[in-house]
Amino acid sequence: MSAWLELRNIKRSFGSIHALKGVDLTVDHGEVIGLVGENGAGKSTLMKIMSGFDSEFSGEILVNGEEVKLSSPAKARSLGIAIAQQELSLIPTLSVAENIFLGGDHGPVVASLSKLAALALPNLIEVGLDYISPTTLVSRLSVGERHLVEVARLIAHKPQLLILDEPTAALGEADSQRILTMVNRLRSQGKSIIYVSHRMNEVFEITTRCTVLRDGRSEATVPTAELDTKKLVALMLGRELGDMFPERKFQKELDVKFSVKNIWPDRVLAPVSFDIKAGEILGLAGQLGSGAGEILSAMAGNTPVRRGSIVETATNEEFLPKSPKQAIEHGIGYCSPDRKHDGLFLGRPIIENLTAPNIKRISSRGILSKIKESALALEIAKAFTIDVSRLEQEASVLSGGNQQKVALGKWLSINPELILIDEPTRGVDVGARAEIYAKLRELADQGAAIVIASTDLLEITHLSDRVLTFYKGAVAQELFGEEITSDRILHNITNPDPSDLKLEVAS
Amino acid sequence: MTTNTLSNTASNSGIQAKSFLQKYGIAVFLGILTIVFVYYAITTQNYLTWFNFKTIIRDAALVGIMAIGLTFVTISGNFFLLSMKETAALCIIAFAMCMSNDYGFFLSLMAAVLVAVVSGSIQGFLIGLGGNPIVVTLGAAGILYGLAAWWSDNLVISFRRPNDAEWLGTGSVYGIPNITIAFVLIACLAEWVLRKTNFGRQVYLIGASRAAGRATGHENLMMAIKVCVIASVCCAFVAVAFSAQMSSAQANYFSSSFGSSGDFTILVIATVMVGGNSIVGGFGSTLRTSLGAIFISSIDNLMVLQGFNSGPRVLSVGLMIVFSIIIFAYIRRGSRSEG
Repeated sequence: MSAWLELRNIKRSFGSIHALKGVDLTVDHGEVIGLVGENGAGKSTLMKIMSGFDSEFSGEILVNGEEVKLSSPAKARSLGIAIAQQELSLIPTLSVAENIFLGGDHGPVVASLSKLAALALPNLIEVGLDYISPTTLVSRLSVGERHLVEVARLIAHKPQLLILDEPTAALGEADSQRILTMVNRLRSQGKSIIYVSHRMNEVFEITTRCTVLRDGRSEATVPTAELDTKKLVALMLGRELGDMFPERKFQKELDVKFSVKNIWPDRVLAPVSFDIKAGEILGLAGQLGSGAGEILSAMAGNTPVRRGSIVETATNEEFLPKSPKQAIEHGIGYCSPDRKHDGLFLGRPIIENLTAPNIKRISSRGILSKIKESALALEIAKAFTIDVSRLEQEASVLSGGNQQKVALGKWLSINPELILIDEPTRGVDVGARAEIYAKLRELADQGAAIVIASTDLLEITHLSDRVLTFYKGAVAQELFGEEITSDRILHNITNPDPSDLKLEVAS
Repeated sequence: MTTNTLSNTASNSGIQAKSFLQKYGIAVFLGILTIVFVYYAITTQNYLTWFNFKTIIRDAALVGIMAIGLTFVTISGNFFLLSMKETAALCIIAFAMCMSNDYGFFLSLMAAVLVAVVSGSIQGFLIGLGGNPIVVTLGAAGILYGLAAWWSDNLVISFRRPNDAEWLGTGSVYGIPNITIAFVLIACLAEWVLRKTNFGRQVYLIGASRAAGRATGHENLMMAIKVCVIASVCCAFVAVAFSAQMSSAQANYFSSSFGSSGDFTILVIATVMVGGNSIVGGFGSTLRTSLGAIFISSIDNLMVLQGFNSGPRVLSVGLMIVFSIIIFAYIRRGSRSEG
């Protein structure tokens, strides 16, 4: 009668901070448990405990009704618990097959690459990567495919319980669908899965029950069938959330602020041209690698461009930034999808992060002014609801949502004309999401132009005034106002009708 | 990565041992070291005296000034210059050549600084373009030392006394050597530059994340050139001060004859490390470096008074590098909250 895995009253504190204040959780064979909660609710700590990375907790863990000690990751693995972490642990210079059998006793001691490949193939098929040869180097795969390889490696251990920590956070729609299919297949084989995700639609689609964590406690465990978005969000936040997305006006008569002319970055099939208007949020929709993100990166001078230019309407100046520095001089701020890589100075205080793009503004004659810096940082922190008492703390201690607010907020220091954001809310919890959306809308209303690229359908559908859909490195269609629907975008970015494709031939 | 591996192995060996090691291991280790140090400091004749204290600081000055320069390179995330002593070697020859030809102190100083600026900016340019700092500066080390030895025919170049450089080498104010005063002034200036200027802020930001630095308009190319020039100019200054002290110069002054703790580059790097500056950049200060210089100098001085020859003294410097890395890694990990 008892569940396969049972956690009873798990508590964990770091010094005076109580990360977990009592968590109960059960998982049984053939169950997919959604573990949801805002960032900072204790999900990461709980996952570390379940996978044996953190053994300094109080409470009981039972497997098959018997109490066990998860003293190390190896112990957890031997009990059949495997975790796929957000950060990839693959070695890019080795092949897929080698990575799958890396560092485990589940492979042969001596084997040729071709033998390994043969052994790895079933695991790859399991995760839906059947189209990739196991001898391919991991460095040649997309981020999405790497996540799938990571999961394939775990499956090779034949675990009973698979913990997936935001497996789709970095993935486009098609790759996400593969993960979901895989989860369903594993469940039908009687495996148990704990699924952690910020994406509501996925939680509703595949989980059987949801355990909601709030403030270090397991707030509730509810069968998914009895939940809807509103209920779930209310459970996570402990309060009702008003409308997540700010209202749109869909104004047609907006001034063109920048014209992008025939910009042609690498990995994009053909040059792309479009207008960016003051006061609107333009959404670039596409799957991972569809070209949307590449265009933003190129406009920011972050990646080399074959050719093309940007025209600023106000000055009629035509330019193409060769470095982010030049883009910043034109008032263009860019947030890459990987904020930990180039969006933040993790080891530096938040205040320095916020003022980094415009050090000139907080100094006179090359000497920093503490007063000017505090004033600017306070202004940004208030605008983006960043806790002002934490400004001197390192950016690394912030949760994902707050980090994203800092990464975005720093661009206010240059009084931006144009903000380019690739994946505005990847790995960001619901509460912070709503705040970010509201602030972006406010910036647009003040006359800034905002372009976002996102693989999150919900976000692109409800935030954008206008949407350009990308398919395999080319613009498929432009949607405006009422035309923007999830179905239409999904259709456009996964499998557009050839007649819809407005391929601009390179001249 | 290293610290992660450490903690994983620790957790495998049982909860009790892990918590004891983590909580008290470093404290116990440092405690024992402190007791040993205090014991020898008290029982060693002439160690705890005003005169010896001045000697310790003066000895710390030359290495300290070079290490302050190198700190800029390290904090900016450009690792180390392995060409510190060779830069000093070419600078000292340039200075002594000019002095022996009666160009006067100022022009001779300028010659040494010019050498430093040129060699520093070339190295910085190559590093800034993406060259590996170790390889670039190892290559530069060979070139610089080769030029110095060739130019001077590997001979000692001496210039006559009295000369107008002596004030720097052997002069003092109220009994405090001028070189000590220079050390303190340079340390304060460097600390001010790092903390209070635009340039200093960029050093920290680029060091903390080169990618984020580039994304916010701070390119490493100019930064690498600037910090390499700063480090090289510090080498030039030390070379000039040292030559002024000896009224002579030879290409190998910084390889063997200085003190007896051996290789100057290793001493300088040890100083930066012992001060607790982050090897990967983004964290540290020249104040830390200065304290590191004084710390190493106090230990070295104690060993000299205890009659140790150069072998054990070089060994102790090596040990200090290794332990400081471990200790500071622990301290920093502990101060960071998890989750």
